[in-house]
Amino acid sequence: MNHPEEPRKKKQDCANQVDCLKMLQAVLDGDATPEEREHFLREHLENCLPCYQNYSLEVVLREKIKTNCCSEAPHDLAEAIKQKVGQLPPH
Amino acid sequence: MEEAIVRQNYSEKEKNDIFNDEFLPHLNSMYNFGYRLTLDRDDAKDLVQDTYLKAYRFTDSFQKGTNAKAWLFRILKNSFINDYRKKSKEPAKVDYQEVETYYNSEDVDRQITPDLRVESLSNMIGDEISNALNSLDVDFRTVIILCDLEGFKYEEMAKILDIPIGTVRSRLHRARALLKDKLSEYAKEMGYHKS
Repeated sequence: MNHPEEPRKKKQDCANQVDCLKMLQAVLDGDATPEEREHFLREHLENCLPCYQNYSLEVVLREKIKTNCCSEAPHDLAEAIKQKVGQLPPH
Repeated sequence: MEEAIVRQNYSEKEKNDIFNDEFLPHLNSMYNFGYRLTLDRDDAKDLVQDTYLKAYRFTDSFQKGTNAKAWLFRILKNSFINDYRKKSKEPAKVDYQEVETYYNSEDVDRQITPDLRVESLSNMIGDEISNALNSLDVDFRTVIILCDLEGFKYEEMAKILDIPIGTVRSRLHRARALLKDKLSEYAKEMGYHKS
């Protein structure tokens, strides 16, 4: 369907998606320099729709992993470990 | 990795204090890591116990004020590889060289726009995320856990895993692409996907 084009702020295509995805990962993982971070978040994402979508997805994915992939240790484990350690001969 | 180990000479009391104040508080993270590596709760318990016993025995190799959690994770990872993986019923599916070639291959780049939408992902319940993570090869699960769950920096991950930092980066990149692929399969199966 053809809609009259609305004025859009963001580009629909990103010529550097491969590098952008790597940069995105570096930014989210704290591996980017402050300048890279600033440039990516403030300039690139503002203007690039695919990268903005990738960014949103990565953010949600990380949140989901944090909230859903943690298992707590069984209650008796700490005690069991302490007991075993106490049984070790001192050296 | 190549730092010389400076052996301390802690008293029994100091050792016990370090154990209780610096090692034991990481029990939940350690258990979760053990579980995600072995995918079995009993094995995870054994692995964590062994790791703590080793940690206690080698307390003198731990320097106070350094990152106890990274130190413990490294012992756990080594115990897993040396003790557990050998006797594991699950055969090692991929040979290391093959894996590294795979990480660096171009097909990583084909997945730059995963077939997964934020809305589908937001609607997923926890089991799907957890199952998707568990379905990845152990090397890929590991980097995601260390980075996303435990918040280790690349440099720390490189030390824990004994791999170069560039490999940490590329392995994570690949792991995330695979995870998103898996989740997008789930999304399709569950009819979240509408395109």
